[in-house]
Amino acid sequence: MKKNLEVVGKSVIRVDGFSKVTGKATYSQDLTMDNMLWGKTLRSTKPHANIKLNLTKAEVIPGVVRILTYKDVPHNHHGVVFKDHEVLSSGRVRSIGTPIAFVVAETEKIAVEAMKAIEVEYQELEAVFDPVEAMKEDAPKVHENGNLLYHYKLRLGDVDAAFKECAVIVENQYKTSMVDHAFLQPEAGIAYLEEDMVVVCAATQYPHFDQLEIAEALEVPTEKVKVLNPAVGGAFGGREDITMQIHLALASKLTGRPVKTVYSREESFVAHSKRHPMIMSYKTGADKNGKLIAMEAKIVGDTGAYASWAINVLRKAGVHATGPYEIPNVKVDSYAVYTNNPFAGAMRGFGATQTPIGHEQQMDMLAEKLNMNPLEIRFLNALKKGSKTATGQILEESFPLKECLEVLEKAFKKDAKGVE
Amino acid sequence: MKKRGFGYGCIFYGTGYGNGFPDISRSIAELDTKGHINIYVGATEVGQGAKTILGQIAAEALDVPVEIVTLIHEDTSITPDAGTAAASRQTYNTGNAVKISAEELKKEIIVVAKGLLNEDHLEISNGVIRSNTSDKTLTLKDIAEASGGGFLRKDGIFQANTTEMDPETGQGNPYWPYTINAYAVEVEVDTTTGIVDIIRAACSQDVGRAINPSLVEGQIDGGFAMGLGYAIFEDINLDKGRIKHNRFTNYLIPTALDMPEIEKIIVEDPESTGPFGAKGIGEPVMIAAAPAILNAIYDAVGVRLTEIPVTPEKLLKALKKREG
Repeated sequence: MKKNLEVVGKSVIRVDGFSKVTGKATYSQDLTMDNMLWGKTLRSTKPHANIKLNLTKAEVIPGVVRILTYKDVPHNHHGVVFKDHEVLSSGRVRSIGTPIAFVVAETEKIAVEAMKAIEVEYQELEAVFDPVEAMKEDAPKVHENGNLLYHYKLRLGDVDAAFKECAVIVENQYKTSMVDHAFLQPEAGIAYLEEDMVVVCAATQYPHFDQLEIAEALEVPTEKVKVLNPAVGGAFGGREDITMQIHLALASKLTGRPVKTVYSREESFVAHSKRHPMIMSYKTGADKNGKLIAMEAKIVGDTGAYASWAINVLRKAGVHATGPYEIPNVKVDSYAVYTNNPFAGAMRGFGATQTPIGHEQQMDMLAEKLNMNPLEIRFLNALKKGSKTATGQILEESFPLKECLEVLEKAFKKDAKGVE
Repeated sequence: MKKRGFGYGCIFYGTGYGNGFPDISRSIAELDTKGHINIYVGATEVGQGAKTILGQIAAEALDVPVEIVTLIHEDTSITPDAGTAAASRQTYNTGNAVKISAEELKKEIIVVAKGLLNEDHLEISNGVIRSNTSDKTLTLKDIAEASGGGFLRKDGIFQANTTEMDPETGQGNPYWPYTINAYAVEVEVDTTTGIVDIIRAACSQDVGRAINPSLVEGQIDGGFAMGLGYAIFEDINLDKGRIKHNRFTNYLIPTALDMPEIEKIIVEDPESTGPFGAKGIGEPVMIAAAPAILNAIYDAVGVRLTEIPVTPEKLLKALKKREG
């Protein structure tokens, strides 16, 4: 039997590093093919509207090969959980940036010109931009079934009784912003045909799921779609939802020619998901020794116009609302709400990035009230191996929070200037 | 006036899809005709290092030099589905699938070698098949040639442990494993301009076991930068559903000049269900930075900022409000 690890634990130089730092790596922007067409996406400029299209002026521009609308899409739906995105809008747009048409032309310049020549008649509808407003009965409905998409409930012990036992309680509301992944490489892709198979090269973080969604939208067997995933310039969750993959596949299938599209940074901002902004109301209580007794949180997450991963994100926010601390009485309600804002989806931390903005400040405020050191209150309440989380999960092994705190304390004190 | 303060942030993070959703990774390990190892896996290299560390896991499991292992992940028609490059799941989940496929291939190589050498006690060591009872050896190329000039291929599949929570109480085991960290920062706040400067930071990161320590440190640097941006810079600035900050001239993200020196501390506590003890870290490394910065700002100037990002305007307004 082997005694020591030979390769694991060694800082092997990353295998894709040389090609990336020397500019040799191939990104989907870099690909060109003979006889290639260019695609451009016409997007909604209104947050909530019924639309009518007039293609007459755009279609006659020399060099325009085809303008795809919803009528060209065999199955006009996609989405990571609910299929609530349309590939191209069939008449109602729910956010700015919703794709309406995909112009295919001989050159990129002609595609842009034709895109601008498409006439869109917007009949604006009342819109809602604040998730708390959107939860009200009389708010404009973003989707037919109402704006409340999901409610996660976490119940442990009896918070009302426990708050009465607390020596200190802090209560605050926290708000986080809607942010972008800001990955280095804006979206780009190219699609072409290999006999009766459509091949899509695009920067993605889950090629097999893209393959499924492209096949569903085109109503072709999965094995008739191939996704190639060249070098990817960052993702952070922003490449989970489909952007141009179906547009390209369909355009190539209908024209029989390779089709390429490249998003500008501005288009990238409206094309992919965002991080859910959250409004988080926290109430946290401890006994006179600093031991946490109760925590109650209400979290409202704005998912914008589409569901994307909202259910999973708000659930994850709810599960992680306590922070890494043992609290015997917990009540959490987290809500995912539709608005006419840009859609939110996966982004690094997936709901568990927002909640620490709340729980970690709560911890410091409790410590201050109790005249404790911020590290002391964390040590005292840290979950550890064998602990039970608020969802009742027993942490059966590896949960070295105290170890992390110990080494951190040493490292930070070592060269601290002006502190003991 | 410039004022300094210290702050801490601690987080836990459940990796994987969670809540009982089947979280499955698949891998194929192959010995090719040249005697090299190919790993086919649908896991995307998004910059996190999957292409490197999955190769290390395969090399370790097979006991072959890492240089002869190639990761092939760019084509859906030749790779099995390994799930998404998200949820901090590729090192743990796909790492396990790769390890299983490599171990199965190793067994198959030994079976072929036993037939060739007519010996029972064989092992692979640094890419060479050796007998424990004699000085006979075989190369991987010998095995490849002996197996009919074709390829030896073995599958690996791994599914994470997760259960669906009760819909009324949220009780259950939604994630496994959990990754933990604790960050500390020192900030300097200019009370005249409202600008927050991060002076230094220390990050202690639970990793289970570090497959590649340099790549872990790289993730901490990148994660800290993203968390810094979240705390004090980033907001797409919506106006009636329109993104006003839609380019890098107005959507500010941190540059190298905004980054402090970070002391990175890797805490190893191997997780028995992880490949060689490893857990995922891709998301956790980002999360603790922002709360630590917010707590440090309070320590420096005595005002609580409950809304991010803490822009100079917001901070000045809060300082002014406190002064009445």
